[in-house]
Amino acid sequence: MSVEMIIPCIASAGTGLNLEFLSIDLGTIIGTLLNTLILFLVIKHFLFGKVNQILDDRKKYVEDTYSEADKAKENAKALEAEYDEKLRAAKEESADIIRNATVKAQQRSDEIVFAAKNEAAGIISRANEDIEREKKRAVNQIKDEISDIAIAVAEKVVEKEITSKDNDRLIEEFIENVGEL
Amino acid sequence: MGFAQSGDFGGVSGPGVLFYFDLPIVGRINITESVVIGFVLVVAISIFVIWLTHGMKKIPTKRQIVAEWIVETVNKLVKDNMGPSHLVYAPYIATIFVFSITGSLVSLLGLRSVTADASVTIAWALICLVMITYTKLKYSGFGGYLKSFTEPIFVMTPMNIFSEIMTPISMGLRHFGNVAGGMVITALIYWALANLSAKLHLYFSMGEIRIGVLQIGIPAVLSVYFDLFSGFMQAFIFIMLTMANVGNCIPDDKK
Repeated sequence: MSVEMIIPCIASAGTGLNLEFLSIDLGTIIGTLLNTLILFLVIKHFLFGKVNQILDDRKKYVEDTYSEADKAKENAKALEAEYDEKLRAAKEESADIIRNATVKAQQRSDEIVFAAKNEAAGIISRANEDIEREKKRAVNQIKDEISDIAIAVAEKVVEKEITSKDNDRLIEEFIENVGEL
Repeated sequence: MGFAQSGDFGGVSGPGVLFYFDLPIVGRINITESVVIGFVLVVAISIFVIWLTHGMKKIPTKRQIVAEWIVETVNKLVKDNMGPSHLVYAPYIATIFVFSITGSLVSLLGLRSVTADASVTIAWALICLVMITYTKLKYSGFGGYLKSFTEPIFVMTPMNIFSEIMTPISMGLRHFGNVAGGMVITALIYWALANLSAKLHLYFSMGEIRIGVLQIGIPAVLSVYFDLFSGFMQAFIFIMLTMANVGNCIPDDKK
């Protein structure tokens, strides 16, 4: 195989001449520089230009997405803090309410107990007074009855001659009378 | 190259001249195989690149992933060797790399390797010299550029100038030498196998062309090294040297 078999159109233009195996040829250098320049421009514009553009776009897109996500995260954190604050305030308030209610209830129960104690003390003292009075009344009644009996006994003693038998009987009578009381 | 015929080894010729102009002052301008095959490669690569990157979207297709991988790989290579602020060189590096590889691999189609022409590789090396000089002028100014040749001592000036010119020349010649050497060895082996086949009467004829049986298969194994491996390696070495030589002229704090 040779050049002629692959690219016949070039072969037809061939001069049949060959350069030296190791030769520095101005035409080849200029031609190679032009070839390289064309390839460089194509690769620069169509490969690196386009790909770098798309890579930059993607990088920017990713950065944007990340910054948006960060923003959303910050927002969420702020909201969370706000809600925490609100929750804390509400808890404090409820605790206050409970504390106040407890204190009030304690006060009220203290008051009730105090009042009840007072009342009970009053009732007891009144009852004691009543008992005392009744006792006095009973004692006085007994005293009256005893004196009545004594008077009756004395009358009977005065009416009759008192014998020893009579005396004994009187005493027994008296005692019986007393017993009837 | 073509299939070597048995007989005396005719040697390996330089690139064929397809047509030429005789111009005044500059003399004869040859349009050689290297330039025409190079131009065909440029057109083919351009079509491939344009196909690769047309209709790119934010969500990439397989085609686009390949394009992005190429660009990112070259960008990373340039970033590592020349610093992140010199990504502007990346398209050029990619150009030389793909041109060099395809230029070497056209030998698989039976064409003469573009890179087996010293003029081609030296043209690329000259671009490298221009880039080196531009970079030096940019970072140390014209005075600093001239002064750098007298360092470390004034006596070194001719040596430094010589070294400055030889850096790209050696780059160009080593690339040419590797590919052309492989081409010569391949041709020699074809010739040797053709002669061996002729001696053993193991050949068949296709019209004018006589093909030795031993010429089939054995050269393919060598082709894997001389065409595929060497073509890839030389392209890679050439771009690494380009980046290293230009990168060396960039002060560390400007990379």
